Amino acid sequence: MATVTSWVEHLSADEVAGAVYPFIGTEWLWLTIAVVFWLWFHVATGTGEAEEQQKLARKKPSANDYKKNITDW
Amino acid sequence: MTDGLEALTVVFTEFYYWITVVLMFLIHVGFCMYEVGASRYKHHQHTLMKNTMLIPLVTVTWFFFGWWIYWAFPTGPYIAPSIMTESSGLILGGGFGANELANPMSPVMAVNLNDHINGVFWAAFLLFSWTAASIVSGAIIERITTFAFGILAIAIGSVFWTIDAAWGWHFDGWMLKLLGYHDAYASGVIHAVAGGFALGVLAVLGPRIGKFSSSGEPRNIGPRNPWLVCIGLFLIYTGFWGFYAACNIPIFDLGPEYGMEGVTFFTATNIYVTPTTLSGITMTFLLSLSGGLLSGYWVSKGDPFWTYSGGLAGIITASAGNDLYHPLQSLIIAGIGTFIAYKMHYWVERRFKIDDAVGAVAVHGYAGVVGLVICGFVLWGYPSSGYDGLGYAAINPIGMIIGAVIMFGVLGFVPGWILAKILHGAGKLRIPREVELAGLDYNIMEAASRDEKNVASANR
Repeated sequence: MATVTSWVEHLSADEVAGAVYPFIGTEWLWLTIAVVFWLWFHVATGTGEAEEQQKLARKKPSANDYKKNITDW
Repeated sequence: MTDGLEALTVVFTEFYYWITVVLMFLIHVGFCMYEVGASRYKHHQHTLMKNTMLIPLVTVTWFFFGWWIYWAFPTGPYIAPSIMTESSGLILGGGFGANELANPMSPVMAVNLNDHINGVFWAAFLLFSWTAASIVSGAIIERITTFAFGILAIAIGSVFWTIDAAWGWHFDGWMLKLLGYHDAYASGVIHAVAGGFALGVLAVLGPRIGKFSSSGEPRNIGPRNPWLVCIGLFLIYTGFWGFYAACNIPIFDLGPEYGMEGVTFFTATNIYVTPTTLSGITMTFLLSLSGGLLSGYWVSKGDPFWTYSGGLAGIITASAGNDLYHPLQSLIIAGIGTFIAYKMHYWVERRFKIDDAVGAVAVHGYAGVVGLVICGFVLWGYPSSGYDGLGYAAINPIGMIIGAVIMFGVLGFVPGWILAKILHGAGKLRIPREVELAGLDYNIMEAASRDEKNVASANR
């Protein structure tokens, strides 16, 4: 929902409202979604990283094996 | 804004801070280059991603709570009274729990036609936060999990440095009032705290495999790409210049601000709203860079890595008082700090088996501490604030030494050590030994090699 529908009306008001972003009053909702996403990110990436490293650890490549994988492109 | 002159001042200030933010972005570019240059080939991509991902992690948490902490904690809480009261006319929403300015749900934390400053000021501080986290990042390369680093980056970038900034950098900070603390360009507020935090983490994390011989002798794991390190440090210098500007308020009429009736005095000020000039700090910045480079070159016998790092250590040492020092004082102070930081790095490495991969604890932590202590003596007696009648202690050595302990130890080393212990206890701190030996990028490199072979053998 648009907070401003006419800039002329908005800027000529006795007291100009500063905030012009949409859905004023629902900031708590956006904040909640953002916090949940942030926490989920840590769990998801942390789990993925641990799984990948455990898998590699089981293969036990030597300290110089990576040299076989150096590409020329 | 309806008054032309007021609009010009406000929009100039808005644009000024915006420019500093862009310049300071180069600090992070520099840190990324520097870290990748210092890491070994088999760890390059993970090293880069670790430092890169602190950008979003610290940014979102800085929006959620970091900026709020800065405005909420200047008085401790409950350590010293606030001057943000109705009687001082400085009220901003005031006291503990403040304030509408920095609440993530506040209307000024967005495009706001009545506010042109909060966003750029928020961003300038955010770039300081990235720097604090990035300092830690370099010290711990090649053996920490990205998950653990993310947690630690948020802790130093959005919590602990923010608390020390509220205490020792905010014009209402209790450390100014009770200790006479002065740290104009953040020897302690960013560098000592981040260096101390890094040391705390390193003490738990342990050295890279092969760093020490069985008899405990340290081995040099030199930078793989000194040119990348060199360009990285040049970019950090450049960004640091922007940081100096960001720590100033570009134009301020101190007459009414200090309650002086009929007095008008327009000037730039430092973060404490005491007068300095952009012109003067340009000289102190360059002379402290020079002092660090000269000292670093001499003490390391011309080693490029330590000469460049010496330039940075020099600036960091002199930063606490660079708003007031004579340029030649900056030169000497920078040289002293760089010498001590270099010597301390190798002493701590041998004595405590601390593997600080890029010398971050030395360049930022020890140099920052030395800078605070020296500042206490050289600026002894200067007012720590312009709000004279409101009970601020003058700058003094004891207060600055206590301040250094708070920055490096209380808000740096101790939280870093505790958090690292918790992560270590949960098995999340260090990568498996086999992965460290194979290289963090082993899977990526293996996949790239497979792709290369497949493409090379393809005929359509």
